[in-house]
Amino acid sequence: MNHIKAVVTKIETIDYLSVVSFEADNQPLRMMALGLNVPIEVGSKVTLGAKATNIALAKNLSGMISMSNQLNCVVEKLNKGSLLCSVKLSFNDSILESITTLASALEMDIEVGDKIVALIKASELSVLELES
Amino acid sequence: MIDVNVTKTLQGSIGEMELDVALSIKEHEFVAIAGQSGSGKTTLLRVLAGLENANGTIKVSNEIWLDATNSLATQKRGIGFVFQDYALFANMSVEENLLYVQKDRQLASHLLELTGLGELRKRLPNTLSGGQKQRVSLCRAFMKRPKLLLMDEPLSALDPSMRSKLQHDILALHKEFGTTTIMVSHDPSEIYRLASRVVMLNQGKIVQDGSPKDVLLKTQGSQKFSLTGELLEIIKADIINIAIVAIGQQIVEIVLDEEEASTFVEGEMVHVSTKAFAPSLSHL
Repeated sequence: MNHIKAVVTKIETIDYLSVVSFEADNQPLRMMALGLNVPIEVGSKVTLGAKATNIALAKNLSGMISMSNQLNCVVEKLNKGSLLCSVKLSFNDSILESITTLASALEMDIEVGDKIVALIKASELSVLELES
Repeated sequence: MIDVNVTKTLQGSIGEMELDVALSIKEHEFVAIAGQSGSGKTTLLRVLAGLENANGTIKVSNEIWLDATNSLATQKRGIGFVFQDYALFANMSVEENLLYVQKDRQLASHLLELTGLGELRKRLPNTLSGGQKQRVSLCRAFMKRPKLLLMDEPLSALDPSMRSKLQHDILALHKEFGTTTIMVSHDPSEIYRLASRVVMLNQGKIVQDGSPKDVLLKTQGSQKFSLTGELLEIIKADIINIAIVAIGQQIVEIVLDEEEASTFVEGEMVHVSTKAFAPSLSHL
C-alpha cells in the first residue's frame, strides 16, 4: 500500500456520497467516498492510501484524461520480473510504487531518472489514517 | 417509553461477569440486541420478561415492572415471548395453542390468516415444518396484544428462505399491533432488515448503540468493505505476493507488494478491506 501525506482542502457531500479534495506538496488530489466515518474536515492532515496495482504511469502526458490524481514523480528504481514490473517513484519526500506489466514498462521505455506522472482514479484512493 | 436500568452478576465462561445495562426504548421501536455469545443478551431479555431476577428498575410507560421492593410477575407484564425452539404444546392443535393464551377466536383466526397458517389450524405442532412452528409461536405471542414483544434468536434454526418469510411476518405484525419489539440476534442481515436500532453488548455492558448500518458496517479508515480473516499463506509470484486469507467458509486472494508482504506473518488475523467502489456483484 502506498502512503501519501495530504491535507484536506474541500469536502463536497450529497446524500451518502462525498468527493474530498486534498493537497499533497502543492499537487491536488481527489477521492470518492461513501459516507465519511473518518472525522475529517478542511485542514485535517491525513495519510492517503493507494495500492501499487492501482497506480498507472504516463510519460509525456497530454490531452484530457479522467484521472483525478496526477502526481509528478521521478523514477527511482525498477524491478523487472518475467511478466510484471515494479516501478518505485519519488514523490517529494515519499516513495510510491506502481506495479505494471513488464510489456508496458518496456513499451514506455521507463528508465531510472525519468520524469513520470503517477495516475490514480478518485475511486481507488482512500483515507488510511487521520493524523492527530 | 421503556426505561431499563438493571444489574446482575452472571457466571460467564471466564468467571463472574456483571450485566450492567441502562437503556431507554421508545414506544413502537424495533430494537435488536446483538453481541457475542456470553455477552448477556439472553439474560437481559429474560430479565425484561421477569423470568430472571435482577437489581435495578424496569419502567414501562407508567408501570413499574421492577424496583427495589417489587418484581411484577411475568404473566402481568403484558409481553409476548418468542423462543428459538418454538415452545409449543405438542398435544394441542395450532389453534388451541393460540387460544390457550387468550380465548379470542377472532384474533386467533386473524393472526393465522395473516401468516398463511389458516389451513393448518387443526394440525398438531409435530406435523409442521420448523418455519410453520415458529409462525405459530409468533402468532401465539400476539394473542395478548403485547405492548412488548421479546424474541430470542427467533429465526436461527430456520433455513434462509424460511427466514425471509418470517422476517416479513414479524415486521407486518410489529406494525399492525404497534408493538415495541426487542429481538436478540447475531445475524447482521436479520438485524438490518428488521431493526431500526441495534444495541451491542460485550461482557454485559453496552458498547455500541445506533442504527444498524452505523453499528454493523465494518470499516477501515474510509474503506467500506472490511472483513476479518486468517492469513494462511503468502505466495510469491514474479515480483508480487499473493496473500491467501480464510474468511468464514471461503478463501480469498489479495495481491500485496513486497514491502507489505514483509510486514505480515502467516497465521495472524487480518482485515481485508477495499473501497466500496472496487468489488463487483454477480448472480449466484
